Amino acid sequence: MRFTVNGSPRDVDPARSPTLLAALRDQLGITGPKLSCDHGECGACTVRLDGELVYACLSLTAACEGTQVQTVEGLANGNALHPLQESFITHDAAQCGFCTPGQLLAAATLLEQKPHPTDDEIRAAMSGNLCRCGTYPKIIAAIRAVADGAGGAP
Amino acid sequence: MSEKRKGKHTTKRGRFVQTVVEVEGRTETRVVELPAFEPPPWTAATPLTIVGTSPLRVDAAEKVTGRARYTADIVRPGMLHAVIVRAPLAKGTVTAMDLDAARAMPGVRAVMGTGDAPAATRLFRRDISYAGQPLAAVCAESLDAAECAARVLATSLRVDAAPHAVIVDDAIAPDAPLVRKDGNTTAPDVVERGDVARGLAAAEVTITREYRTPVALHSALEPHGAVCEWNGEHLTVWESTQGIFRVRSDVAKALTVPQAKVRVLKDYMGGGFGAKNGAGAHTYTAALFARQLGAPVRCINDRRAEQTDSGNRPATVQKVTIAARRDGTLTALVLDALIPLGISGWEGGPAQIFHELYACPNVRTTEICVYINASGMQAFRGPGYVEGAFALEGAMNALARALQIDPVALRLKNLATRDERANREFSGNRLDECYTEGMRRFGWTSTVHRPPPTVTRVKHGIGVAAQTWPTGGGPPSYADVRINSDGSVDVLAGTQDLGTGARTILAQIAAEALGARLDTVRAVIGDTERLPYTGNSWGSMTTPSVGPAVRMAAEEAKARLLEAAAQMLDAPVESLSTNDSQVLLDSVVALSFSDLCRKLGNVHIVGHGSRGPNPELAIVTVGAQFAEVEVDPETGVVRVLRVVAVHDAGRIINPALAESQLHGGIIQGIGYALFEERHIDRARGVTLNANLHDYKIPTMADVPAIDASFLDGADPAANHIGARGIAEPPIIPTAPAIAAAVADAIGVEVCEIPLTPWRVLTALAQ
Ligand code: FES
Ligand code: FES
Repeated sequence: MRFTVNGSPRDVDPARSPTLLAALRDQLGITGPKLSCDHGECGACTVRLDGELVYACLSLTAACEGTQVQTVEGLANGNALHPLQESFITHDAAQCGFCTPGQLLAAATLLEQKPHPTDDEIRAAMSGNLCRCGTYPKIIAAIRAVADGAGGAP
Repeated sequence: MSEKRKGKHTTKRGRFVQTVVEVEGRTETRVVELPAFEPPPWTAATPLTIVGTSPLRVDAAEKVTGRARYTADIVRPGMLHAVIVRAPLAKGTVTAMDLDAARAMPGVRAVMGTGDAPAATRLFRRDISYAGQPLAAVCAESLDAAECAARVLATSLRVDAAPHAVIVDDAIAPDAPLVRKDGNTTAPDVVERGDVARGLAAAEVTITREYRTPVALHSALEPHGAVCEWNGEHLTVWESTQGIFRVRSDVAKALTVPQAKVRVLKDYMGGGFGAKNGAGAHTYTAALFARQLGAPVRCINDRRAEQTDSGNRPATVQKVTIAARRDGTLTALVLDALIPLGISGWEGGPAQIFHELYACPNVRTTEICVYINASGMQAFRGPGYVEGAFALEGAMNALARALQIDPVALRLKNLATRDERANREFSGNRLDECYTEGMRRFGWTSTVHRPPPTVTRVKHGIGVAAQTWPTGGGPPSYADVRINSDGSVDVLAGTQDLGTGARTILAQIAAEALGARLDTVRAVIGDTERLPYTGNSWGSMTTPSVGPAVRMAAEEAKARLLEAAAQMLDAPVESLSTNDSQVLLDSVVALSFSDLCRKLGNVHIVGHGSRGPNPELAIVTVGAQFAEVEVDPETGVVRVLRVVAVHDAGRIINPALAESQLHGGIIQGIGYALFEERHIDRARGVTLNANLHDYKIPTMADVPAIDASFLDGADPAANHIGARGIAEPPIIPTAPAIAAAVADAIGVEVCEIPLTPWRVLTALAQ
């Protein structure tokens, strides 16, 4: 079965990995999306499927044929980091970093759909991505800075 | 006592002395090596240019690009996958299990059941004493195959069920089933100072309350896990852990292999919060299968296992009596606490903060630990103090209301000016300033003098609570600083970064001491084979324990570098100094580190550092938090609107990272106050909410405006970098501050957390 991952065509065997998360991690070695709850409860596995946010642990590999999948590894443009990645760095928006790949994809999707969200809109849109380290205030600040055109500046 | 050889080229080793070390609130006496020299302390007046600033987290780019490798991301050639089969009920005996059926499943390579693991691992026993206990394990070519076989094994399991006790009331009932052979309770641990009876008699006001706190689950997003690989007799363990050396000694002991043949590696980890302090069932399972099969094996907890059997903060029932004169002066504090630990655990009880936070001549605490048929506790951020603070600070706020005294004024009146528990002075304690600065930032107006709230549906309230926590750290901790032939610097210390920022702050300390540019310094951590020993990253200890060792190693490396420079420049070493990776001669740049080191070629400049003993002082981090909430009396829903936190932790190495730690503690405290509670079904003995949907941790939408800060300054009496720990303190006062704000809002105290809508409505109905 073929689909596109971060711009490159890739082949996986859906029988070996029923979920998209397992296919990415185990067959393609793409480990940015993390396995944490495996039940769509935490957002650590968040990826984009044809531009839409999905929990990869709940997405069936077989249903992804022909789709475009984006993971955190595909967020940067070559060596140039995405503005949100820059902003997460400058705002210290990752402590342990385990939730960070999912947070970044959720944030990128939010800003594409709503370039100037209010803080409450950020909170609502990001509430499907848990962070046990409690980086939320800094994630909000990092998203705010990009939305306000301040780029990565703290 | 051991005298080291003193030759011409002294190895600069010290003698051995006894010192007192505090770990997670417990005190231990240890014999430690006294460093041959300790640099003069960095005081508040010492001009520092790298320490005290906020350079970006050195590994942030790895984390935002997905390059950071966590234990579950480790893939080894030919790696197999192990899954543990766990007990479906709380007490009983395994009578049958069809291991052969599992062995016959596709892809399965090995199965272990009752009696197949060395006794020291405590794995796969016939007797079940809690639901979730490991009973067997399967190893297969893929995780899916292992999970399928594990289900077959679980289905074949036959168990004779026995009566259990999973809540404290059942375990202490007269006809309670025996949870452990030696009984269901520990002997009461009574600690008393002064004369409580006289203190109670002298009181003009006495308040008695019963507080209850829940079992809280660490819920790190990265579950416990290990990858194990044998190469002949050598075992390599990749483990998500707060203590690589502890994992090494655990594994070496359980599998009877010498520590020299076990290497533990930890690069990135997805949080620990106290639950990842040693080897666990997953580690032993992976190591045993890997040895048996001659292939690498990965074993990672799934979320259910993680929420069931990887540790927890135990519940408490705390009866508190607080007695005072009418002017607010405390005359007695009494605590009677029951702590259901689970099937095992150590004394991390709520009592200690009762002896430490306030000046009070008469204090008595009694703690009884209760064993129940549930997974054992593990340290969880501020163990004991979090639970104790909820009761102590709740009672203080109740006293303030009863006396019509402002709760901050009441606290200032009873401020501890020395450590009355251990009868010693503080190295530094500016809790009074934390209150005043917090009041200023919060705009605190006394709750008691406010006009009665107008009749709106949603009610607002404000509250305050304080914290203390022992954060001195201590020996043993070692570090090496190595200057490479291009002038770049490696800091070598066998510590771990849980997401705290240890990698960054150790590099800052070394760069500061060495006079090197921060971007030339790299901290290498997380490898027992190649790095000097440091202790676990627990008890807020890493900065005050490893930090001084790193500074000392850097100072020694700098001394050697300058000796070499003195030769090269033909100048007295006293006239040389360093700054910005350059050697200065009489304050003028003479030579860069890189030129100097290039000329030295492969002459190795290495400094060795160790953490010296602690002074005879109480070393604590203190702080005050203020919360504002909104309560809807019709739905019982509590929303936290803002939290202001001010803490005194001595010198802050990196304010931005320290602020992140405060946020994390406060947000976990909000979860503890409002949502987090493990539910065990009393009849069946199994956890009902062993997932992240029904066990609720705060989401971004639950998080209020947080203003978290530290007092400026340094604590040179604590250690020579002047820093104390900060990881645990911020979670301690959050829940009692929120509970006080809720009481202020609705006029009724709710003495049990979490403050769920149901509990709030029940309180309002009374
Ligand atoms: S792992 Fe997919 S949502 Fe948690
Ligand atoms: S940074 Fe650790 S879970 Fe979010």
